[in-house]
Amino acid sequence: MIIRPEDWEVLGIEPGADIGQVRRAYRHRRSLYEPAALATYNLLDDEEREGMVDRIEEAYRRIMGSEPPAAPQPSPSPIKPEAANEVAIGNAPDPLSKPGAHLRFHRMAKGFTLHQIAVETKIGVTILEQIENEDFEALPAPAFVRGHVHQFARELKLADAYEFAKFYLTKMQGGGGDEDE
Amino acid sequence: MTGELSESRVNGPRVWAVGGGKGGVGKSVIATNIAASIARGNESVALVDADLGGANLHTLLGVPSPKTNLADFISKRVSSLGEVMTPTPIDNVWLVSGAKALVEMANPNFGQKSKILRHISALEVDHVVLDLGAGTSFNVLDFFLAARKGVLVVVPEPTSVENAYHFLKATFFRKLKRAQPRAQVKAAIKEVMNGSNRSKVKTPRDLISQVWSVDPDVGAALVAEASSFRPALIVNRTDHPSHERLGEDIVTACRDYFGIRLQFLGSLPNDKLVVRSVVEQKPAAQYFTQIPFVSAMRGVVGNMTYVRPRAS
Repeated sequence: MIIRPEDWEVLGIEPGADIGQVRRAYRHRRSLYEPAALATYNLLDDEEREGMVDRIEEAYRRIMGSEPPAAPQPSPSPIKPEAANEVAIGNAPDPLSKPGAHLRFHRMAKGFTLHQIAVETKIGVTILEQIENEDFEALPAPAFVRGHVHQFARELKLADAYEFAKFYLTKMQGGGGDEDE
Repeated sequence: MTGELSESRVNGPRVWAVGGGKGGVGKSVIATNIAASIARGNESVALVDADLGGANLHTLLGVPSPKTNLADFISKRVSSLGEVMTPTPIDNVWLVSGAKALVEMANPNFGQKSKILRHISALEVDHVVLDLGAGTSFNVLDFFLAARKGVLVVVPEPTSVENAYHFLKATFFRKLKRAQPRAQVKAAIKEVMNGSNRSKVKTPRDLISQVWSVDPDVGAALVAEASSFRPALIVNRTDHPSHERLGEDIVTACRDYFGIRLQFLGSLPNDKLVVRSVVEQKPAAQYFTQIPFVSAMRGVVGNMTYVRPRAS
């Protein structure tokens, strides 16, 4: 296969870059055009997105003379490989005191990975993970979190997604609800 | 200020426009702090509140609503823009207020716009910082395009990123449509948009290549316009490690998809003291000089005003 000048351009690297640089550039470009990537939010429609991914893979194949590695995880904090195999055990944690764990339980019970939820809801994996971990420091402003939690809960078909988002916000803002431990 | 005029003063002020599709991303706070930051380098700045529908820079600066403002200039109650320039508590920063501008002033016509721009370039200052309103009205787009550098502000939220792309696309199309020779450009664009290939035109890049196949001369003119379109980008309110790459990633996506080259100026961290500076009406770059937001702002302003030395 002949390397074309635009192959380097597609990956955004100098012609003749070493293998490590090509791999890194490829991984980065792929993650940029994942459906839930913030930097390209709603910039491309599905067809364009696939076209872009094809171009990136084609460039990689031409430069490396081999197939690209499996698609990288879409977020800066990728799901750990074992996460997809985790299963929900026992009863659902209390939605009032442990809303994040409650979401995670129902997600796993339905066999969804965070990535799948991210694709459906267009909420980034990082944010979803922070919601499950109740990482309130890292999460954006409550107004946005409310929307995200509502969508997340609706995606999991929780009985009352709207009420649930309210519980979540209550805990996030440090009011009401029983604290853990 | 005494001494000889700096070079920029002789050629007219350097004009910076701060815009971005979405409201509430911090445009006004950033414009004010850019001005305050430039002024600390002992250059004079006119801060122009070009958010004609909802001006409030005077409040951010902690000054009462000035007696004269842009509306007086537009309605010809005063004859020059310089007359509505009022001093602020920050040395070297002057305010052209848009306060109380009438609703009908929010969309000045072409003649009024040209006049404002002409007077802006005649202001006797080193820099002019235009604070634009939200949205993608022609008024906002034209001021953004008229500046030496248009600065786009984005926050790490999907809605803001999405709006920024709308804004860039709208601005870029506006610039292409106004390219010279205008009549032929308009005709060629119209032909493409009405032709059988119109479904292929999703991005400015597609438009240019389609126009090229219809009329190579106009195609070349559009390529020249495109290469001179280099807006700058600031990512505001970053507060997570995953936000670090956002600026560069947006630059990459713009290049890949639109064929637009953005200049990333830097990220400004989310900082509670900035909120306090707004509440206390004391611009952070003047009163909270040690906080991370302000040091990041210095880097942003350094990148923005940097002029590559000419090889002599």
